[in-house]
Amino acid sequence: MAPGKTIKAKIKKTLPVTGPQAPTVSELMHWYCMNTNTHGCRRIVVSRGRLRRFIWILLTLSAVGLILWQCAELIMSYYTASVSVTVQFQRLPFPAVTICNINPYKYSAMKEHLSELDKETKNALETLYGFSEGKSKVRRDADDWNATESKFLERIPLLKFEDLSKKTVTEIPSGNKRKIETSVFHQGSSMVNTGDPQDVVGFQLCDPNNSSDCAVYTFSSGVNAIQEWYKLHYMNIMAQIPLETKVNMGYSAEDLLLTCFFDGISCDTRNFTPFHHPLFGNCYTFNSGENGKVLTTSTGGSEYGLQVVLYIEEADYNPFLVTSTGAKIIVHDQHEYPFIEDIGTEIETATATSIGMHFTQSHKLSKPYSDCTETGTDIPVANLYNKSYSLQICLHSCFQRAMVDTCGCAQYAQPLPPGAEYCNYKKYPNWMYCYYKLHEKFVKEQLGCQQICKEACSFKEWTLTTSLAQWPSSVSEDWMLRILSWDKGQKINKMLNKTDLANLVVFYKDLNERFISENPANNIVILLSNFGGQLGLWMSCSVVCVIEIIEVFFIDSFFIIMRRYCQKAKKWWNDRKAAPPQVNAPAKEGHDNPVCIDEDLPTFNTALRLPLPQENHRPRTPPPNYSTLQLDAAFTDPLPDTLEGRSH
Amino acid sequence: MHQVVTVKAEKVPAGERLRRCKQEAEKQQKVEEVAEKLEECQEDLIEFHKSYHELFQFFCNNTTIHGAIRLVCSKRNKMKTAFWSVLFFLTFGLMYWQFGILYRQYFSFPVNLNLNLSSDRLTFPAVTLCTLNPYRYSAVQKELDELDRITHQTLMDLYNYNMSLVQSNWGAQSSRKRSPRSLSHHVQRHPLRRHKRDEPASLKGNSPPVDKNDWKIGFILCNETNEDCFHQTYSSGVDAVREWYSFHYINILARMPNTKALDESNFENFIYACRFNEVTCDKANYTHFHHPIYGNCYTFNDGNSSLWTSSLPGINNGLSLLVRTEQNDYIPLLSTVTGARVMVHEQNEPAFMDDGGFNVRPGMETSISMRKETTMRLGGSYSDCTEDGSDVPVQNLYPSRYTEQACIRSCFQISMVERCGCAYYFYPLPSGAEYCDYTKHIAWGHCYYKLQVEFKSNVLGCFSKCRKPCEVTEYQLSAGHSHWLSTVSEDWVSHMLSRQNKYNITSKRNGVAKVNIFFEEWKYKTNGESPAFTVVTLLSQLGNQWSLWFGSSVLSVVELAELILDFIAITFILSFRWLRSRQLPASAVPPQGAHDNTAFQPESSGPSAPPHSTVKAVVTTLPSYNSLELCGRDRDAKIGLE
Repeated sequence: MAPGKTIKAKIKKTLPVTGPQAPTVSELMHWYCMNTNTHGCRRIVVSRGRLRRFIWILLTLSAVGLILWQCAELIMSYYTASVSVTVQFQRLPFPAVTICNINPYKYSAMKEHLSELDKETKNALETLYGFSEGKSKVRRDADDWNATESKFLERIPLLKFEDLSKKTVTEIPSGNKRKIETSVFHQGSSMVNTGDPQDVVGFQLCDPNNSSDCAVYTFSSGVNAIQEWYKLHYMNIMAQIPLETKVNMGYSAEDLLLTCFFDGISCDTRNFTPFHHPLFGNCYTFNSGENGKVLTTSTGGSEYGLQVVLYIEEADYNPFLVTSTGAKIIVHDQHEYPFIEDIGTEIETATATSIGMHFTQSHKLSKPYSDCTETGTDIPVANLYNKSYSLQICLHSCFQRAMVDTCGCAQYAQPLPPGAEYCNYKKYPNWMYCYYKLHEKFVKEQLGCQQICKEACSFKEWTLTTSLAQWPSSVSEDWMLRILSWDKGQKINKMLNKTDLANLVVFYKDLNERFISENPANNIVILLSNFGGQLGLWMSCSVVCVIEIIEVFFIDSFFIIMRRYCQKAKKWWNDRKAAPPQVNAPAKEGHDNPVCIDEDLPTFNTALRLPLPQENHRPRTPPPNYSTLQLDAAFTDPLPDTLEGRSH
Repeated sequence: MHQVVTVKAEKVPAGERLRRCKQEAEKQQKVEEVAEKLEECQEDLIEFHKSYHELFQFFCNNTTIHGAIRLVCSKRNKMKTAFWSVLFFLTFGLMYWQFGILYRQYFSFPVNLNLNLSSDRLTFPAVTLCTLNPYRYSAVQKELDELDRITHQTLMDLYNYNMSLVQSNWGAQSSRKRSPRSLSHHVQRHPLRRHKRDEPASLKGNSPPVDKNDWKIGFILCNETNEDCFHQTYSSGVDAVREWYSFHYINILARMPNTKALDESNFENFIYACRFNEVTCDKANYTHFHHPIYGNCYTFNDGNSSLWTSSLPGINNGLSLLVRTEQNDYIPLLSTVTGARVMVHEQNEPAFMDDGGFNVRPGMETSISMRKETTMRLGGSYSDCTEDGSDVPVQNLYPSRYTEQACIRSCFQISMVERCGCAYYFYPLPSGAEYCDYTKHIAWGHCYYKLQVEFKSNVLGCFSKCRKPCEVTEYQLSAGHSHWLSTVSEDWVSHMLSRQNKYNITSKRNGVAKVNIFFEEWKYKTNGESPAFTVVTLLSQLGNQWSLWFGSSVLSVVELAELILDFIAITFILSFRWLRSRQLPASAVPPQGAHDNTAFQPESSGPSAPPHSTVKAVVTTLPSYNSLELCGRDRDAKIGLE
């Protein structure tokens, strides 16, 4: 014998692999039902009466169905989160406070860059509305205008709509009347209703390659039209100015801040970090944490917050760009980008504005509980702002990227992507049309930005409550203005006006931090325990009985069916091989086929009924010749195996 | 007596066969084979046990209930039975204690709070803007003329103040008497009076005395018969005059048949420019209604046309309005505030300007940033809220969706109509009622102020009747102000405004105001509730306890139920048989075909009893596998033996 064979035989002997010990599936089921611990099944077998048995089958099946349904419900509700709200009293870090003047740059410093645009704007105002600042001034301006070429109005002229139905317009400076062939792509819904038709003013943006493809923007209010039109040109001009020049044109920290107090201690401009915003010029962030130190307040209340007096130089404002006076502030986290243009709060001049804060921190569970992102690294949009991720940053970055891809240049209000430059119509003559088209797409969610960008999982917010008071009071006005003017130093000769000042106090109302966090409502232990409960409730089943079911219903049944097929195949093979000589071949069918028995060890039936027939190859002692055994009529037919076993 | 009885009497042979099989099985003491054999035997649709003992035997052998069954099924051992009964009751008690805890937990309907942050396109809320002046003074001067004159006189008397408000031609007007029952007659019923505080109060004050000085001012209100009177008093003269004035003003308004003619709603005269999301908005985007105190109100984006949505947060993507706040023709004694009133609310919700609005200062740019927050409560047994208000016993008089405020006001109005017979002018008119007016309802003021006290102390039950809606959307607003129209841009902007809107703004800076309303964040918070303890978890918990203490299941309970049903059925059969056996001897007819045939029984037991012993003898000698044979054949064999 080969060694391999010996080992094989040994294994076969010591670890016998037996199939299910039942010849048929129905017998297997019967055996299972009698022996299982699962409730219900035994009753199917034991019950007397067909109706009773049927009812029990029905009951058992419905119990199984209920278990499956309830467990499915449990699984489906697995990913739910519960919210816990904790309020804790602690030393709170003071948020960063960014302060900007509403007017981005000193108008006096901007004069040289904007003189042409302003002239044209004034001219347009005069033509459209007959507005003039003063006779002499206008005349001078008009003369100048004749001298210089009117490149702005020429490029994008303001249009006055004479008759909307006929689409006749008047170009403002030239006075040329012409008809627009293109469809009026106005921004209002129903133009017909809007006031008097001669008031409708707008401008037209055309695709330079295809002059018929034009969009006309109209405004019901002339103020809006002028401002929009001015802003458009302003952005073009600003895009061409290098950053350093712009910083120099803006307000310095000394210009903006007159006094500063924090937590009862005096502070100065060194506590403010400069930051250049494309639309608001130089802004200053208090407590920006850039040197890694974040200030905290020990006590709530206005005395211990940030108190500043701002100098708002109203006379040096740009008359067309901004029409309101004041400052904008925003309270934000040190790692967040301050979106002043979107969510800043205005500060009024000649007023003391007290802003009370209430701090709330929230944390959500990320996937699979909700669709949010922890760090933003899994979002396929490059963060153009070097601040931590937020939804707003993502949307702006996404739009800027689309802008660079489509129009070839970057929009002025958002940061520059690497390798791109800001749009201006010297280099990119058609960028504005491109921008308006793209923005419209963006608003209509056709760019896919809103789909890509997800919200951040954790965020901090400061709820602000604003209150106002007249400041300075009429009795204190005199001395206060004098002292502040003296403080300002270099402009001692110029007395400050109270409408140039704004008092701002930012403080924590209380030091209670509200922390809202989500926790998983379920965990695997609870789920399993609930499963156990369901299984136990309906059928008194357990994991073992589930394994049992799998064993019996799948593995064993499969074996039995396979064995059946194996036997059939063998029989068929044998029949073909020796069809004529094998007369007694049909006798060898069934589980007692010696060929099959060699492979499978004794089945349930054979094991019970036959005392190991094939091991005894020696002729057995003949059974006693009892009269019972002579009842051949009863035995021969159903028990061929006994006879056959003996014959072997 | 071991015998199996079939329901149908004709099937005696089957029953006998079964009995034989059973006997055989019992002899071998192998339960598995009993079943096996039983299956072989022909069976009926439904079979019952012959006796109680057999029934219990069967139950004890085949039940799947753990533990508890030992109590019944081990009765041979008294000690064991006692032990098991103690255990049984102990576990039973523990289980029901736990069940009680679980049920209490479930029926307290606990909820989990969910915090959801959604970031879809935000639907812009409806924004209502009011002029803060009901009518142009020039338009209503004719109607208010008499009242103004009386007020003038009263102010003169009380405060020695000569109110020279209008270049009035009272003398001319008063000469022509309108009607014999002129207004002055009614006004005299409720004169504004000043009286000493410490004077012995013959008439009890209606409001708590908060005044510091010795004088209180108020007016007297009496019922029809002048028997029950009280003073509506105020600590401040200003409050008293305003309240008194508006009380009469309501009466005048209620008398006027066509108030519509008076209010000239001129959109262009109030709102100079309107932009939403950088797009010009126009007349199609607003609806107009008139409020008797707040004047002409314009609701933007109220859901009649397509709704506005904000694609981005920020000031440029919100609503921006230029509003006229000129105060030349305000009614002097009614409108003491100048500016405009703004309110942000959901579409299809009534705009209660005095509840949620705030005022816009003239000469200012007011930037209002909103945060949206939706709260969704679970209805039904989880909390006391209503889905759509249909289950609230108050008819909603407002044409809009159910809100708690609308319900409370409707409730008050309905009580007012019931009690006073007329409707309060500021609230909508219920069908079949008319507005209060003291030319018709003389004492409504008395009734109203009485009712108001009852309403506020919840005697009317309005606050308990009106439940919160399950879904509430709130807008948290915070405002920033800046001076609007900086000195440098003042000239050109005011010039253009006056030119365009053909309205001469006299005071450049204070005649107009700018309002920006925008979303602060792109996300909005949804506070939801979900049941913390559902039926599924309850069942799981019950199943856990049940399995832990009893090891039984629902199917075991059905087993028990089956046992009880069987028990009843057997009782029924036995008693029926007993009755029959009582009747049969009387008739003396040999019973035929009945299963309880007495003649049959000895016969059936006859053949079975003798072979019983013989078979036993044979079995000892036979190879054991013979006895494992199927019963049918076995019996044949036995017969053959015989």
